[in-house]
Amino acid sequence: MEVDFAFFSELLSHTLTFWWVIIPTIFLGLLVGAIPGFSAANTIIILLPLTLAMEVEIGLIFMIALYCASRMGAGIPAILVNIPGTAGAAATPLDGYPMTKQGRGQQALAMSFVASTLGGLLTTIIALAAMPVLAEVGYYMHSVEMIVVMLFGISLIATIAAKDTLKGLIAGFLGLMIGSIGSDVVYATPRGTMGFLELYDGVPLIPALVGLFAVSEAFIIIEKSSIVTEEGRENMQKPGWSATLEGTFIALRRWWHITWNSLIGLVIGVIPGAGASIASFVAYQQSRTYSKTPELYGTGHPEGLIAPESANNGVTSGTLIPLLILGIPGGATAAIMLVVLQYHGVNFGPSLFFDQPELAYGVFMAMAVTYALMILTILPLSRYMSRVTLARTVYMAPIIIAFTLVGSFVPREYLFDLYLGLVFGVIGYVARKTGYHVAAILIGVILGPLLETYFLRALKKSDGDLMVLFSSDLGNTLWVLLVASMLLPLVLDQVRKRKAAKTAA
Amino acid sequence: MNENEQKRSVGGELVLPVAGVLFTLYYFTTIIDSPWTAQVNAFFIGTILLLLCAALFVKTGLALARGEASFDFRTLFSSVDISTGRLALFFITLGYAILIEWGGFTITTFVFLFLAMTVLNKGKSKGFILALSSSLSLGGYLLFILAFETRFPRGPFETFMEMVLTNGS
Repeated sequence: MEVDFAFFSELLSHTLTFWWVIIPTIFLGLLVGAIPGFSAANTIIILLPLTLAMEVEIGLIFMIALYCASRMGAGIPAILVNIPGTAGAAATPLDGYPMTKQGRGQQALAMSFVASTLGGLLTTIIALAAMPVLAEVGYYMHSVEMIVVMLFGISLIATIAAKDTLKGLIAGFLGLMIGSIGSDVVYATPRGTMGFLELYDGVPLIPALVGLFAVSEAFIIIEKSSIVTEEGRENMQKPGWSATLEGTFIALRRWWHITWNSLIGLVIGVIPGAGASIASFVAYQQSRTYSKTPELYGTGHPEGLIAPESANNGVTSGTLIPLLILGIPGGATAAIMLVVLQYHGVNFGPSLFFDQPELAYGVFMAMAVTYALMILTILPLSRYMSRVTLARTVYMAPIIIAFTLVGSFVPREYLFDLYLGLVFGVIGYVARKTGYHVAAILIGVILGPLLETYFLRALKKSDGDLMVLFSSDLGNTLWVLLVASMLLPLVLDQVRKRKAAKTAA
Repeated sequence: MNENEQKRSVGGELVLPVAGVLFTLYYFTTIIDSPWTAQVNAFFIGTILLLLCAALFVKTGLALARGEASFDFRTLFSSVDISTGRLALFFITLGYAILIEWGGFTITTFVFLFLAMTVLNKGKSKGFILALSSSLSLGGYLLFILAFETRFPRGPFETFMEMVLTNGS
């Protein structure tokens, strides 16, 4: 079969005939993405009997649609109530939630949907075109290079710490320390577990996410009758679609920003073991670094919302590339897809593109169609979804606590995780009340264990020689970029100050 | 407003650093005899955390000595915690986390939602709260336990429903 324009046209029209699978799955995906603890991965596991019974093509489209929609769904509670549905949306509330507080929730949702869709669509097309090249990225990214990628994400702590450096750094390093709990990756020595067997595998992310963001937020919001400010409420009383249109145009005008950040997501997604959380932190940090208005980040700046949302959707197509070409899943959901498709007798690897091109390319076509249908179905809903923020906090706070706390139980099904969610809730509450940034703590908890894993691997390979960190050309290039990204804001800040001084003179 | 209330309250700001220092020291005791692979990362991060906390303690000490700050915990505990129902909400949440193992998801969630909303709403709109709590807990049961078959804690309600749905077999 020849893979040409006619092939792709036929594949597109064929995939569109599965709208009856895609549209209901989009709503399911948005739902599971929005509830902390649930994700595409564990939903596919729960629905495994159904997925295995489906025809391979329908099963594949179902999984792809669920994957894409859950990624977008995770951003909805992050924007509206400051609760990321998954760790991949942990950078979304940094600017999304302040917009909601200002009564711009509908606009923020529209921006997030457009950024997610365009980011997802664009990276899907790029993935289709550049799959063989992208598949090789994984080969070049060894422990050393991954350490630098992690540091890109962790350097966001310094960005967050800009307002109160000392407190920001304490929060970040406290997070890194909490992230170090558990057995070490080489000899499995238990460390800092306080005798809890449940912590031997490290601190589970969902209870940390639920506690730091959701539970602590619920205890804070009850001080006011609504999470939206008085002025914001007045803005939201004006019914209409204008906020959706404004949000759409704001995002479309920043098409270059979406492109750049979704590409960051795509490349990070290709690397097995990296994921949406790293991509969104790295994207946010990069976006702020090269912004002309870095001081606006964290106050409800559109670019601060667009960057993580386009990046985490870029990851979606990236994680499937090593799966299809090398048979190595780029993430948890891709790993489960691998199991399901292998059950159906699908063999991954380059031969898949010759033996079953309609299936291999069909994965990305299903993704493109899902994104296209998703924007059409979800964008009109932004007007209604944003109304949730007008609910009184006396009702909202208990609902948030109940459903997110039990959500922390879901991934491992340990009651311990529910208690852990509550402990993180207390930590998050104390942090918010005393001026420490919960996002900085979370970055540490998420990226700390990954950084340690790659660091130890690199040291083991070099018999403890620290110079291994500067032993590869790609690694050194990344180090230079990292240092540049740390120094550039300072330089740009100085340039701006000088310009302002000249203008004033 | 007295003089102390006008000053910056620093007691609450020290809670996380003190907890961080205590945890780091405890962590060090768990790795002291471990292989270097288990130590290197934690010693590196932990030492930086200790230095950062020490810097904050010095900064706070200087602010206290200069009379710019007061050592109290009003940022964390105040009468607002009682008037808003936050303290009560905390204890109801604690009870929810403890009792869910025996009461099961549906009943415990219903009781939690009803109690928490009633307390926060100062006893008003009980009918609405009753309807909201029951529909949410039943909705949660239908979605999470029946549809998604999640292993949420089972209690009398879930056991009873299971018997009903399987005709007692």
